Amino acid sequence: MVIDFSTLYDMPKSFESMFDEMSRLHSFSSRRTAYPLLNVHENDDGYTVDVSVPGVAPGDVELTLTDRNLIIKGERKPTEGRYFRQERLSGSFQRILSLNVPVDRDRVSARSENGILRVTLPKAEAVKPRKIAIEAPAGGVQ
Amino acid sequence: MMPDITERNASVARTGDASGAERSASVREGSAARIERVSPATDIIEQADGFHILMDLPGVPPEGLTIDLEENEVTVTGRSSYAPAGSDRRMHAEFDAVEFVRTFTLSDMVDRERIRAVLKDGMLNLFLPKAEAAKPRRIEISQG
Repeated sequence: MVIDFSTLYDMPKSFESMFDEMSRLHSFSSRRTAYPLLNVHENDDGYTVDVSVPGVAPGDVELTLTDRNLIIKGERKPTEGRYFRQERLSGSFQRILSLNVPVDRDRVSARSENGILRVTLPKAEAVKPRKIAIEAPAGGVQ
Repeated sequence: MMPDITERNASVARTGDASGAERSASVREGSAARIERVSPATDIIEQADGFHILMDLPGVPPEGLTIDLEENEVTVTGRSSYAPAGSDRRMHAEFDAVEFVRTFTLSDMVDRERIRAVLKDGMLNLFLPKAEAAKPRRIEISQG
């Protein structure tokens, strides 16, 4: 059974912690990680969360967006029969991703391809980087 | 009873490995992008009509999958086409595009002509039907 209630991942709150994360990213160590595996990417428009859920039909994954969290919940159903080897995990799983930034809830979308679920969370307009025009004083420089 | 499908160079089964795959140290070189080779998490299940080999191949599209049957060995190779969207900054990473490779040895019980493979939602279901001769049969006892 895969029941994981302990994976509360905080998106890096400060630059320091982000760089800490970055240095750890490049080694995909064989350390025990939570299930399902996920990647988080950021760009100016928003965040992308990729979740590796092989063998799970898109209908068996439930995504819930609460005030502060994205909850990924689902179940991988075991196959009946006599097992000679069992390495694939089965049972229900859950991961909670805490979002420390406002996302545009109405534009959140998700699609699944080849067992990888991609959730797109656009940033709320208020927190998007914006260029500020500098106004020249009227009349120009003397 | 011994399983009728054995894995070549089989390592100890790592049941419940949360990482989902055994990472092998070998990294394929020469190709444009260096891609890690991993052994996919696999279940081997016997049902009345044959064996099902279920393999987790997340990110592998149908065109990236090859299944070779040579002599009595079947080799599954799947190349993940997973790529993060655009030039996004990576904030947190737990998986990457990899090449999945695994080889199994089939016994004579398997009917090679009728092996079927279905790839769905990133999982391969390789069905190895039992040969007619190997199917369990009830022997009628005639009254003397």
